[in-house]
Amino acid sequence: MVKAIRGTLVRCDASIKAMLIDIDSKNNNEYIIEDLDEEHILVKETKVTELKGRLHNMMRERLKEPESSDSE
Amino acid sequence: MSVSSSTQALEYLQGLPLQTHRKLYEAPATVLAVFRCMLPHLAKTLVMAMLYMPTAFPDAHLKTWFKPGANRQKEQAVFVLAQLHILDTAKQDDGTRSHSLSPGFKRSLRHALEGSGKDGSFGVSATEEEARGERRVSVRYLDEYARAQWESILFYMVGGAAGVDVKSDIGVGTKKLLQAGALVQIWQSQPRITKEGFTFVLQETNAQVWNLLIVYLKMAGDLGMNETDVLSFLFMLGSLELGQAYSVSTLSPTQLQMLDDLSAMGIVYRSSKDARVFYPTRLATTLTSESGGLNTTGGTSNNANASNKGFIIIETNYRLYAYTDSLIQIAIISLFCKLQHRFPNLISGKLTKESVQQAVKQGITSEQIIAYLTTYAHPQMQKNKTFIPPTVMDQIRLWEYEGERVETENGYLMREFNSQAEYNDVKKYADACGVLRWSSDEKRMFFLSHVEQVSAYLKSKKGPR
Repeated sequence: MVKAIRGTLVRCDASIKAMLIDIDSKNNNEYIIEDLDEEHILVKETKVTELKGRLHNMMRERLKEPESSDSE
Repeated sequence: MSVSSSTQALEYLQGLPLQTHRKLYEAPATVLAVFRCMLPHLAKTLVMAMLYMPTAFPDAHLKTWFKPGANRQKEQAVFVLAQLHILDTAKQDDGTRSHSLSPGFKRSLRHALEGSGKDGSFGVSATEEEARGERRVSVRYLDEYARAQWESILFYMVGGAAGVDVKSDIGVGTKKLLQAGALVQIWQSQPRITKEGFTFVLQETNAQVWNLLIVYLKMAGDLGMNETDVLSFLFMLGSLELGQAYSVSTLSPTQLQMLDDLSAMGIVYRSSKDARVFYPTRLATTLTSESGGLNTTGGTSNNANASNKGFIIIETNYRLYAYTDSLIQIAIISLFCKLQHRFPNLISGKLTKESVQQAVKQGITSEQIIAYLTTYAHPQMQKNKTFIPPTVMDQIRLWEYEGERVETENGYLMREFNSQAEYNDVKKYADACGVLRWSSDEKRMFFLSHVEQVSAYLKSKKGPR
């Protein structure tokens, strides 16, 4: 029997995916429904914004922003 | 009418049940409007061909009209027509399918084309007696009225976000409508624009009107209004003539109630609350036509008939110049651009990483920004092949991508197929419908953006056996 599961398809780099899975595993797997392939995961529709927020925070901690040159 | 505005209305229409469609199609004006601007071109061709057909049309014959490679387009067109309940598909005794136009739609469209049938669905002009004592209203006055009303709505929305202090006096009903549509949120008793609101303001006027009207339609039930009445009135408005006075005597109570709300939005004009005539403005008469809508870009532009005139120049060094004195346009541009100077008829600024990422954070996508800049590109810019310099477009996208490392799309994951054959078959159908987004053959699952068409297909496959 075919099943349809409602959710949000998230498309990203492998590196970003690793971070998303990391976030998910640290939070009792409450975001991800299914790990689809290298660059795709299925996420609960209601949790997408929250997951994005957490990803942002994580990136800010780990990545260094290059100095932006804002010459007039 | 732009692609976006008609698809919005079409999506809404598709979601309505059969009974509502039946009732809607009783009015020739509605049918004509649906035909004119809701249907994709291929679907129009089918309707036209079948309009005067006396008997049902076998599916096998329909197939011969299409090139072998165009099955996908055919399925899409037939599906749209079936969802709108315009096309009835019946199974014959020998198992073949045949199509016919639904009788109500067929009759009304014939009436609309031939000018036969009962009057009234295209609006009734005011008689001389009714118009007596009413001031004649010029087209220009109507345009100004519509623009003023509509701009005050937009201003109410963007004012706060752009840091401009606005005391916009729009009606309580309109405010409620904006909140119901989640276009603004009230936060500390101040309106705050939402992500959807941003999408809204960056659209062209016609799409905005439809957007708001669809919210209105969804609210209609709660206001104790008859949805069908509301819809057919909107479609009727689309067929009226600008500058002509129309009588209110033939309108139903629901429609009278609507007149008040619509005049608050600037879609119709009435000289007073109990005037016996009303005038449709350009916002109304362009609802269901392709002609240029109301121009809300130039505050002092005298010629509203001119199609949207471009006023934005962008250089390859990300500098942006906009020839405008309209506060709304300035407010909108300031959402994603760092403004530097303001002159009486010109503002200048620069697209920076911060300004674009700020916009992205608030929910504006790079595509929306680019679409906005393209729509309003200065005629001088429009001489180039791509209106905006390609480097600038790419950079805007890259800036967005930097802040936003994931792409998301809502939909449905289909899995647990019984056999490879079934999987292949359904996947092929989904691809033909244009809803397939991702698939994995070894896991035997795929992701769809819309499930309705495919689930109907699955059901129909299971049914007969």
